[in-house]
Amino acid sequence: MGSPMKIRASLSGETADVKVLMRHDMETGQRKDASGAVIPAWYIQEVTVALNGKAVVTAEWGAAVSKDPYLALKVKGAKSGDAVSVTWVDNKGDTRTDETKIA
Amino acid sequence: MYKRKFVPLALGLMLAAAGVAAQAAPKAPAGGYGVGRPATEAEVKAWDIDVRPDFKGLPNGSGTVSRGQDVWEARCASCHGTFAESNEVFTPLVGGTTPDDSKTGHTKALATGTVPQRTTIMKVGTVSTLFDYINRAMPWNSPKSLSTDEVYSVLAYLLNLAEIIPENFVLSDKTIAEVQQRMPNRNGMTTAHGMWDIKAKPDVQGSSCMKDCPVSAEVTSRLPEFARNAHGNIAEQNRPIGPVRGADTTKPPTANAAGAAAAPAVMPTPAEPASPAAGLVGKHNCTACHAKANKVVGPSWDQVAAKYKGAEGAEDKLVAKVKAGGSGVWGAIPMPAHAQVPDAELRQMVQFVLNGAK
Repeated sequence: MGSPMKIRASLSGETADVKVLMRHDMETGQRKDASGAVIPAWYIQEVTVALNGKAVVTAEWGAAVSKDPYLALKVKGAKSGDAVSVTWVDNKGDTRTDETKIA
Repeated sequence: MYKRKFVPLALGLMLAAAGVAAQAAPKAPAGGYGVGRPATEAEVKAWDIDVRPDFKGLPNGSGTVSRGQDVWEARCASCHGTFAESNEVFTPLVGGTTPDDSKTGHTKALATGTVPQRTTIMKVGTVSTLFDYINRAMPWNSPKSLSTDEVYSVLAYLLNLAEIIPENFVLSDKTIAEVQQRMPNRNGMTTAHGMWDIKAKPDVQGSSCMKDCPVSAEVTSRLPEFARNAHGNIAEQNRPIGPVRGADTTKPPTANAAGAAAAPAVMPTPAEPASPAAGLVGKHNCTACHAKANKVVGPSWDQVAAKYKGAEGAEDKLVAKVKAGGSGVWGAIPMPAHAQVPDAELRQMVQFVLNGAK
């Protein structure tokens, strides 16, 4: 299920400025814990940003993306009150979707 | 305000008076020297803004998370980031704490070291400190410009980002004590050390050399001359954060570096206030991020002057740029907006920079 994302979407003219802070450990699979055992890889593989249910960004991520990833994008043709939803799927099959309205 | 604070000052005055007496200077007349006047009540009130951990001195007011978000986006986000995750220059304000920490009052990550960078919320023990600091010193380029309710709102937004308070929480002088009971590191502070009590154990022990110490260190090995620039100019390879730049290895070491083991770091030197404009750049805190010859956080004035040399309309463009802030021309690190600086002074400073900062 994961921790909730923080999403801000503000409108300037016809362009919405969307900022997302995800909460994920993003383990690369290269690190070792105190006892020397490899920490298994665990990272977000797919991110989808949708405006009113229509995907505007689909991204394939890998182990190189940092812990607690920050994503910012601009969406043209948005209106106040439109729903922006962000979905991620990680390599363990876990997924999370959060939604906000454009202010 | 605290009566006790004045004791060392009074003692200092007595010592100074004793010193004057020893030099056989004329004694102060009984009624004083006839200069100065007692501070008025309004003056003391304006100066006495501290908020103590027991919330003494806390002004009445209240703020909500949603209002705080608006203020944050406008005044704070350019340096601290939309989610207080911060950018290249400043350390993150929130993160590294868990709801469990709010229950125990100890930030677990400080002990386990699982979070690589300590955030403000991980360390701070008293919510009054956050209020006091924001109220006193923020935003950096125009401190004390937030109203009391705005400070409450910004603090509420910050505490909400840190997951200490819910989104519908109304932070006020009545509810702030409740927040104190949820601060993640509220029990992580100690006063049992020499920084607090003069009789307590000091936090450092100077045990290596207490007498007959060597006057100068002997240099036993050093980098040979030919290897100094082996990796290119170190000064240019440092990240543009903080005052330490590394030595300019294209030049031979300076004389005083020969005795010391390490080459001296090139420190940015603030310009001497020679002209009125040079005083202005100090007054408006430009020198916190800019220097004449070195890149500090922002570009050096020499760089700016060289880029816009002879360019038409450069002065107007730069005045607008400084006023509105922005990023991109000199890298990703943003310059905050400076709407509080009067236009005339802004123009004077831009002229100063374009004329070689002399």
